[in-house]
Amino acid sequence: MNIKIRNTLAEITGALIAMTWMWLNLIDALTMSIQSVSKVLAQGIGISIILIIVLHIVFNIFSSIITGQYEENIEDERDKIYELYALQMSSAIFGISIVATFVLLGWFNLNITTGLIAITFSGFIASIFSLLLKIYLYR
Amino acid sequence: MFKKKIHIENAVRKLRFNNDEMTQQQLAEEVGVSRQTIVAIEKYKYTPSLDLAFKIALAFDREIQDVFFINQ
Repeated sequence: MNIKIRNTLAEITGALIAMTWMWLNLIDALTMSIQSVSKVLAQGIGISIILIIVLHIVFNIFSSIITGQYEENIEDERDKIYELYALQMSSAIFGISIVATFVLLGWFNLNITTGLIAITFSGFIASIFSLLLKIYLYR
Repeated sequence: MFKKKIHIENAVRKLRFNNDEMTQQQLAEEVGVSRQTIVAIEKYKYTPSLDLAFKIALAFDREIQDVFFINQ
């Protein structure tokens, strides 16, 4: 497994763990105040950022121990192109999700808390899909 | 006429072996990309930019058309 796939897997794992943590803390979202929901979402985003950094380090340490050699992460034109493809995909998914959220909020007369949760989760889902695309391209 | 998709192939692998069995890592370091990019180019999974194509040709001291060509 090369360093690009390993780093992408670290990012997917971090995002999934943060999403799970937020999901578990938002089970009673309907009874929670908007302040506490916003707090959980902000904490979830923070956790995902910290987890991604930690998992990058852990994955690379484990890989160095297993293979016995240090692999340098060199960014080149191919990485930039793949990054652009991933960004296009995540922007498209996130854009569609935001429109869908607003339409559904109005249609079913849902409260603002639901919209807030849906937008945050759609951001994570868009990010995961773009990372999966990167794994497909780097395979 | 030009709407037809073209398949750009290359002789990077052959040229590496003819060049004192140069490794993918050595070529990657010489042209300033990662080894995975050289692997992708050799497998025709990635077509490099004109800039990188020229750098690879210069690394082998060849003309660009000797390294990258169209398979008709």
